[in-house]
Amino acid sequence: MVEFLFKYSPTVFAKGDFVLLGSWSPWLLAAIIAGGVAGLGWAIRRSVRGETLAARGWRPWAIWLLQAALFSLVLALLWQPAIRISTLKPQQNIIAVLVDNSRSMAIVEDGSTRLQRATAALKGGLQADLSRKFQVRLYRMGEALERIEKPEELVANGRATRIGEALRQVTAEASGLPIGAVVLLSDGGDNSGGIDLETISEIRARRIPVHTVGYGREQAARDIEVTDVQMPARALADSRLQAQVSFRHRGFSRQKAKLTLREGAKVLASREITLGPEGAQQMEALPFNAGLAGARTLHVSVDPVAGEENAQNNQVARLVNVEPGKPRVLYVEGEPRWEFKFIRRAVEDDRSIHLTTMLRTTQNKVYRQGIGNPKELEEGFPGGFEELFAYQGLVIGSVEASYFTPGQQELIRQFVDRRGGGVLFLAGRSALAEGGVGKSPLAELLPVSLPDRKGSFHRERVSVELTGAGRDSLLCRLVEDPARNAERWKKLPPVADYQEIGSPKPGAVVLAEALPGGRTRLPLLVTQNYGRGRVGVLATGGSWRWQMVQALDDKTHEMFWQQMLRWLVTGAPGAVHGTTPRLVMFDDGRLRLAADVREKNYQPMADARVEARIVGPEGISAVVEMTPDALVQGRFEGEWMAEKPGSYAVEILARRGEQEVGRDVLTFQRQDGVAENFRTEQNRELLEKLASQTGGRYWNPGELGRLSREISYSEAGITVQETRDLWNMPAVFLLAVLLRAAEWLLRRRWGAV
Amino acid sequence: MLLHRRWLVLGVAGSLLGGLFAFQRGFRNFGEEMDNPAPFPADGNEKTEFAFARLRYPSLRGGYYGRGSWATDYNKADRQFVQGVRRLTRIHTRSVEQVVDINSDDIYNWPWIYAVEVGHWELSDPQAARLRDYLLRGGFLMADDFHGTLEWDIFLSSMQRVFPDRPIVELENKDPIFHVLYDLDERFQVPGIQYWYNGQIWERDGVEPRWRGIYDDKGRLLVALCHNMDLGDAWEWADHPRYPERYASLAYRVGINYIIYAMTH
Repeated sequence: MVEFLFKYSPTVFAKGDFVLLGSWSPWLLAAIIAGGVAGLGWAIRRSVRGETLAARGWRPWAIWLLQAALFSLVLALLWQPAIRISTLKPQQNIIAVLVDNSRSMAIVEDGSTRLQRATAALKGGLQADLSRKFQVRLYRMGEALERIEKPEELVANGRATRIGEALRQVTAEASGLPIGAVVLLSDGGDNSGGIDLETISEIRARRIPVHTVGYGREQAARDIEVTDVQMPARALADSRLQAQVSFRHRGFSRQKAKLTLREGAKVLASREITLGPEGAQQMEALPFNAGLAGARTLHVSVDPVAGEENAQNNQVARLVNVEPGKPRVLYVEGEPRWEFKFIRRAVEDDRSIHLTTMLRTTQNKVYRQGIGNPKELEEGFPGGFEELFAYQGLVIGSVEASYFTPGQQELIRQFVDRRGGGVLFLAGRSALAEGGVGKSPLAELLPVSLPDRKGSFHRERVSVELTGAGRDSLLCRLVEDPARNAERWKKLPPVADYQEIGSPKPGAVVLAEALPGGRTRLPLLVTQNYGRGRVGVLATGGSWRWQMVQALDDKTHEMFWQQMLRWLVTGAPGAVHGTTPRLVMFDDGRLRLAADVREKNYQPMADARVEARIVGPEGISAVVEMTPDALVQGRFEGEWMAEKPGSYAVEILARRGEQEVGRDVLTFQRQDGVAENFRTEQNRELLEKLASQTGGRYWNPGELGRLSREISYSEAGITVQETRDLWNMPAVFLLAVLLRAAEWLLRRRWGAV
Repeated sequence: MLLHRRWLVLGVAGSLLGGLFAFQRGFRNFGEEMDNPAPFPADGNEKTEFAFARLRYPSLRGGYYGRGSWATDYNKADRQFVQGVRRLTRIHTRSVEQVVDINSDDIYNWPWIYAVEVGHWELSDPQAARLRDYLLRGGFLMADDFHGTLEWDIFLSSMQRVFPDRPIVELENKDPIFHVLYDLDERFQVPGIQYWYNGQIWERDGVEPRWRGIYDDKGRLLVALCHNMDLGDAWEWADHPRYPERYASLAYRVGINYIIYAMTH
């Protein structure tokens, strides 16, 4: 109907440019229309003179409007309006037809596979229709793009779908061939993380429209799919980690399911969950212990529920490097106190933290414990980068700011900002506001704005409660279950003292609060990130009561302090810090490595020689020279292709001259044939987006009859400019008649004007 | 008669409130049990990190009441010693002592505790169990002023109920407790007040000073024993011209080292 009225398909109007073919200037048209419309207005005004216009109201002007519209329409037709559009020259262009050949196309729905339906569409007329006007090149698309001669060569056995890469390849071919458009028949299940902007930009630059044809159900009937699992890539031995599991389901609302984390056959953590609303992303946390040092392959799953259509998408794998190192924490304490002793005891058995302490026992004596050699801290608190930056964490107890020289205060700031270490400030009679920290350069580090007064430290017992953020934080997790954990905190014995630490700064997170008198709530544990590192304030020096007042076998105090110090050092990088965007690569062996290389004072080192030594399955070994990043000083990059599936270890080694600067070890894994089990529903959103961004259109399989006609409107390939008249559109004639008829009817109704 | 009854009620209520108030402040004056009372300093109610905690235990010679052996030198020794602790260290120390009853869970709030004349104590099984629990949770016991074989045996009979399976060992010079602040390689017997009268350093058959202790499984001292010596008397009489300075000085240094050790290990 639309096409009958407007003579052309909507695509013509969407893609074409509106032009006026008449030789007179469009400005003249505008001027004449303006003059004519004004004249009509004058005439109307004249004709009603003698009678009050007010009595007539708006009616004369409605008549005027209809007359003016008709006048303008007729006048515009004299200027010969038309649409100018590029169309593909028949028989001179190529249409690339890409058919998804991945395993997800073998999914059976309503009695036939997705691929069978796509093949049927091709054979049932699409290929023939296209061939009448264009040369058709048929491709099958899986892990790679391959040209095929006939649809029978499609078998749906590809282990992955990489739409972006396939399009990039087609675009590259287009530079030598007149490719006029691309037709993509797919379920949209792309496994490479989507189509990158670069590819889209490339297609747009070549003006190749991509027409997408979607196959597959847009919603599964009964299925649970794990969509993502977030967990840290590195961890310290024995540390408490948390897997953030995202999943969604169809058809199982309010049913119970089991979230499980396994290493091989061993279950490391498991808990029951209730499935939420259908289709919505649900996120659940699963805490677990990192265990001993080594690379761990962990499988996180929502255990399959009876009646699920696809149980293959319930589990994903993640890799965690549990590092063998023992980060060092320096605890400087200004006075002997119980907190000092009990913190030392709490982390004594921690295999992943080495605690060194320096305690001012008298005005003139510092007692050192946990030192590596007699020279360590012999001169007191470190005065240079090299000495302080050898630690990853720093705990500052009841120490006045003035105990540190201005140089040391700046050093502490750099320790967090540049070195990426963690600093924890404890409360005390000489700490924080009492010790003038708020008026020192150290104040900048703090996650709170300290009160500007003395008398902030109180030796009174207070109960402690978690905040909402504290309930979610692993740092405060004493019991696995978040609700029980919050209750556990409420039941802890009151701490021996507390300090008022003012208000949290923007970006700071309050994890726990003190309840002096049981009513007021004061921040007790506050954290924030600062530069490359992190800072915390624990506004008590009296957590030792958790050890002394609770039963001998209660491990609350040890657990809290071990977690606290691990939090402090987690993420504190070494002189060489390697990263890779993906630790588990699905059907894709392209490894991208980056390494940040720093001097001993943690300034970026630009003149290092960095190489990555890779060891993989079946005796694979390689050395990759990493090259400096042009934009980021001290960063080096490298790429390598892991051809075989399996686990790989990468040692990144940096040297300056013959001297070793440092090294770091990463592990990663390539898994093949897994990704196709996920996102098996048709990804219509991706297909629609791809089509709209490239000037193509998303098609349902049932409407493919019009595709061969519409595909002609393209600016790619060999085109011809066509000009199509608009004056003879039935819609124009109809409009003119309607305007005139409307005027006549109104006049009749209201009487002559 | 009615008037008398009112006074009685008021008196009882006053005593109860007064007792309650004393507990609330953390300090309780065991006036009737004092061996050698010292004045209450002006800052005696200050809230501090550390207080000299004296263990109140039942003794063979008459239980708690009257003047039990737990109160020997109490409270002049305590107050005089903490003056040294306050002056010589950075420990925030209360100027008055804290008496801690072996029957009370309040013991867990005082992780360093001093017991005197333990050659006269007699702990019941529940008391021994509480002391064991206290020490294993992180408490520290300094036992002093017991002499000779008989008192050692009496001490031992209760201590073995606390730790049936932990040996009492001689402390070596290299132990951190003798170096944590002062280097105390040169230690000697510290006599009690009898030295004034008879010039004798030892008491009973305790001729040799014994620096002994009990360790936990991680090599940390739980109990430090000053056998055949009387540091308490040395603290108590340090201000007296007749008590030799060298003994008082060592007693202070040992006491301070023991406190700092307990606060660091």
